[in-house]
Order: sequence, then C-alpha cells, then structure tokens
Amino acid sequence: MVDNHNPSDSAIEVRGLRKEFGVLKAVDGISFDLKRGEFLSVFGPNGAGKTTLIKILAGLTRPSSGTARVAGYEVEEGQSEMRREIGVISHSTALYADLTPMENLIFFGKMYGLERPQESALSVLEDVGLAPRRNDRVRTFSRGMVQRLSIARAILHDPSILFLDEPFTGLDIHASNVLKEHLQSLHNKKRTILMTTHDVSCGLEMCDKVALQVMGRFAFFKDVKEFSKESFETMYFDAVRDNQFTMGIRNR
Amino acid sequence: MNLFLNQISAIVWKDFVTELKTRELFSAMFVFALLVILIFIFSVNLSVVKASEVGPGILWVAFLFSGTIGLNRSFMLEKENGCLMGLMLVPADRTAIYFGKLISNFVFLSIMELFILPLFMIFFNIDLLGHLLPLLLVIFLGTLGFCALGTLLSSLASNLKTREIMLPILLYPLLVPIVIGVVRMTGQILTGEPLSEMMNWIGLTASFDIIYIGVSIMTIDHILEE
Repeated sequence: MVDNHNPSDSAIEVRGLRKEFGVLKAVDGISFDLKRGEFLSVFGPNGAGKTTLIKILAGLTRPSSGTARVAGYEVEEGQSEMRREIGVISHSTALYADLTPMENLIFFGKMYGLERPQESALSVLEDVGLAPRRNDRVRTFSRGMVQRLSIARAILHDPSILFLDEPFTGLDIHASNVLKEHLQSLHNKKRTILMTTHDVSCGLEMCDKVALQVMGRFAFFKDVKEFSKESFETMYFDAVRDNQFTMGIRNR
Repeated sequence: MNLFLNQISAIVWKDFVTELKTRELFSAMFVFALLVILIFIFSVNLSVVKASEVGPGILWVAFLFSGTIGLNRSFMLEKENGCLMGLMLVPADRTAIYFGKLISNFVFLSIMELFILPLFMIFFNIDLLGHLLPLLLVIFLGTLGFCALGTLLSSLASNLKTREIMLPILLYPLLVPIVIGVVRMTGQILTGEPLSEMMNWIGLTASFDIIYIGVSIMTIDHILEE
C-alpha cells in the first residue's frame, strides 16, 4: 500500500481546483492554504460553488482537475484515512429520524470503528447539551436541536478538521447563538474549521481567514484583521457586481 | 477485516432497530403479498386448474413484487436527511454498505416469506410440509439473487427522481433467469419431484446469485459516488 500521508503545517492545501458540470464551472481554479487550527469562513452568493468546494474537500465528489490535500492526505487517494480526520455538517443532517440520538451516534461510532461507541456517544451528547434527550426520537426534535446533534455526529470520532456548510440555515436567534458557542468552543480546541455561510456577523466574528467565492472563484482570501465588517460588505457587493458584469459581457 | 464485518453488522443492526420501531417495511410487504395471493385465489378456478401448476407463479409474483416495495423503501431510508452522505463520509469500504443493506433486505424479505408460506398452503390447499426443505432451498436461492441485484439497482435508482418506476424497469428484465429457475423448481417440488431432478436449475440460479453479487462488488463504488 502506498503511504500518501504528508504531514505539514497546512491542514488544507488546495491548488488549481476545478469542478465542471457540463458548461457550468462550479469551482473554477481555486487555490489556498489553511493552517492547522485556523478558521476559514467562505462567503458568497447562492450558486457560487461553496457546497461543491466542501464536497470535493470531504471526498464526496471528484474534482475535474487540480489537487487538494486534507490533513496531509490527497483527497482522491487517501480517502479512508482522510475520512477519519474530517467531520462534515451540511444542509442535510445525515441523521436517522426514527432512531434516538444515542442510537444514531452508536451506529456512526461503530461505522468509524470506535472502541467504545456508547461512551463516545454519551460524551459528545453531553458536549452539545442533548444528553437529557438521548432516548427520544430525532423526529421529535426542533431544527436547532437536530443541528446540535449533527455537530455531535461530526465530532464523534474526534476529527481535526471540520467542514460546515451553512450551519446557521433555518435556525432562530437563540439556536444560532447556541450553535455559535459550540463552534467557538470547537475552534478553541484547535480544530481547523472551514465554514460556508451567508451570516456575515457570525462568519466574521468567529474566523481567522475570510474568503469570498463568486462564480466558482475566490474573489479574495484574506486575514479577518485586515478589514472591518462594513468594508467587507462593500468588498462583497463590489465583487459580486463585477463578476455579474463580466458574465453579462461574456454572455452577449 | 474486523472493521469491515463490524460495519456490516452496524448497518444491519440500524435497519433492524428502525424497522422494529416503524414496522413500515414489513407491514407494507406483507399486506401486498397477501393481497396478491387473495386476488389470485378468487380469480383462479382450482377445480379446473391444478394448484401445483398455477401456485408457483402466484407465489413468486407475491414474493418479488412485495420485495420490490421493500427494496424501494430500503434505500429511501438512506436518502432521507442525507443519511447516505453520512455513510459516504465514514471510513467504510462501499462494499460493507452494500453487504449491510443486502443482508437487511434479505432477512426482511425472508421473514415476510415465512409468514406468507403457511397462508399460501391454506388458501391453495397444498401440503408443503413434505417438501419443506427443498422448497426453502429454492426460496433461499431466489431471494438471495433478487436481493443481490435489487440492492445494487435500488442504490442506483435512489438518485433518480423516478426511482419507484425505474427500479422495477431495471430489475425485472435482469432477474428473468432467476425467476424462470425458481418458478420451474417450485413447480417441480409441488408435483413431488426430488431435488436431484432439478440440479441444472439449482446450478443456474446459484450461478446468477454469484454473478449478481460479483457485479455488485465491482460496481457499487461507482454507483454510490455522486
């Protein structure tokens, strides 16, 4: 077996990543590095290719070209080893609605090959504050509770990297604040986090690095300290408008 | 190897716990199979035709059609809330997911068949007790082939909008060799022929079981990929 593990300071290294669906370029030549323990927020309008980017990095879909290394593993070759290092929270919860939180987490614990799935499940349920509801069916949970349970599922195997795809979607203010606290505590535990979001306040508050993805490309990738929320919003709208203008000329 | 077997057993355990709580799969399959047999019992004049001539076809129509309902539901469970994506993210060999689902489907369908068989005996007034072992062997071979191919195709069809229509369209033509084999063998068993008389059919059915499982192992990785 070829050992393709290449440990380095970078948790995520992306070079010239492209993903095309026919004529549509969902990801169009993205390159960036994210160091271990850093938090990157990726903003962008709907259809910018943010979810596709996460799917490629999580090994759920193959890129058309370019390379990506996650936790030192090539995403295409080191699939099994790489999957032990990542946790993913997406639009869909990936939870069985007719099972209880304990049953869901024990199942995923067994699938990850954890030695004590029951204990690990209980421990993460306590972390996200759902231990008292551990024997209720997931079907009876509110959206906020399901999202917290999704976090529990994603961190069950203690991954070093988390991919979060719009985790605040559909949450009320209270649930958003609770989720924010959980994400902050995960970041404090030195986990590398890549999050896509439309929530500018939350995204800027928690992250170290910011990227804006428009039409498959990163319009910018900067340190969060380099600008204020107001200047970010100006840059956001300028970048989106410029790209739409460029696309408009191309389409004529 | 240990992790591979643990992952298979985890999927089977999860499907069983879900089914014990909802009872959706079993009740849907059982009611459908029972209705098929009841409809045929009223439409066939058993004083004109022999039960051993029409019975095998009716029995397998009930098994296969109700089994298709089960197969459709089986992968739908994984598609709800993106659970299949959750499975794709774990460090599991895709064949472990296939075998887990195959075993679940096989056991659920077999349990339903064991409930239907006595009712079939009563309605058609056929004494199967004397031929029970050969009949169970034939049912085992037929159900295994059906589930082996059905699990593969239901995973393929689960990504389509028209999955309920596509599964039978894809499944039944490919299943023809097994259906012919098991219907012929069931007929021979009901007329009292010994198992040694049908070794060719057993060989054919078992061969297709192996082919379906082999093809599934080779292709499941690509089918489950987005």
